[in-house]
Amino acid sequence: MKVSNKSNDEGILLAVEGRVDTTNYNEFENAVNEVLSDDVKEIYLDCSELSYISSSGLRIFLTVQKKMMARAGKFKLFSMQPAIKEIFDISGFSSIFSIYPDLETAKQN
Amino acid sequence: MEKLRKNKSLTIRNKIEELNHVVAFLEALEEEWEISPAHVASINLVLEEALTNIIFYAFEKDVESEILIDLTMEGSLMTIVITDEGRPYDPTQKNDPDINLSAEDRPIGGLGIFLIKQIMDEISYERIGSKNEFTMVKKW
Repeated sequence: MKVSNKSNDEGILLAVEGRVDTTNYNEFENAVNEVLSDDVKEIYLDCSELSYISSSGLRIFLTVQKKMMARAGKFKLFSMQPAIKEIFDISGFSSIFSIYPDLETAKQN
Repeated sequence: MEKLRKNKSLTIRNKIEELNHVVAFLEALEEEWEISPAHVASINLVLEEALTNIIFYAFEKDVESEILIDLTMEGSLMTIVITDEGRPYDPTQKNDPDINLSAEDRPIGGLGIFLIKQIMDEISYERIGSKNEFTMVKKW
């Protein structure tokens, strides 16, 4: 698992690569928390290289979503692989997250 | 024609880092049994969810134990049996989360067994002596 910070003047952009599972979900959480200062209102997460997620990873996604909603912010996911999207679907997460086909669409909505 | 029956097993210790052995084991199996990467990912997920529960909750702190994972493939039927010597726990009795709740109302966690139920066709549990035996079946 690797999280890279691709943020620029336009906003906070992170990319997660590889597996987010029980062995490393806390690293993922720490990496996201690092950019999640109080004034952040929007986070974009590139999921194109996310290859595997288990419930341990999903709980971090939900935690971040709750934090962003509590501050009327937005947590936008994009370019998710179909297999990962399926896990989001069966967990009921697809309806509580904003998932976009690509960064451009995420920005427009 | 009789279907070819393949079987393979792996024993891990009750430590979270042992999940990495499971990943390596499945990678080898993917090649050996010619299972599609998508199916391997599903097997990986259900195994991780079941094993995580056992490793986190079945044992008293600092108690070392072993967990046996047994996979059988018969035609397109995959049977996974996980055996541990932890306290009795029947995952099939766990209540499903309400997946229609809003993000604010969704509790953190409680998804693991639910994911297993969604992915696999059948799950069953048996307490045999001092052992928990959890079986998951999927026909592809």
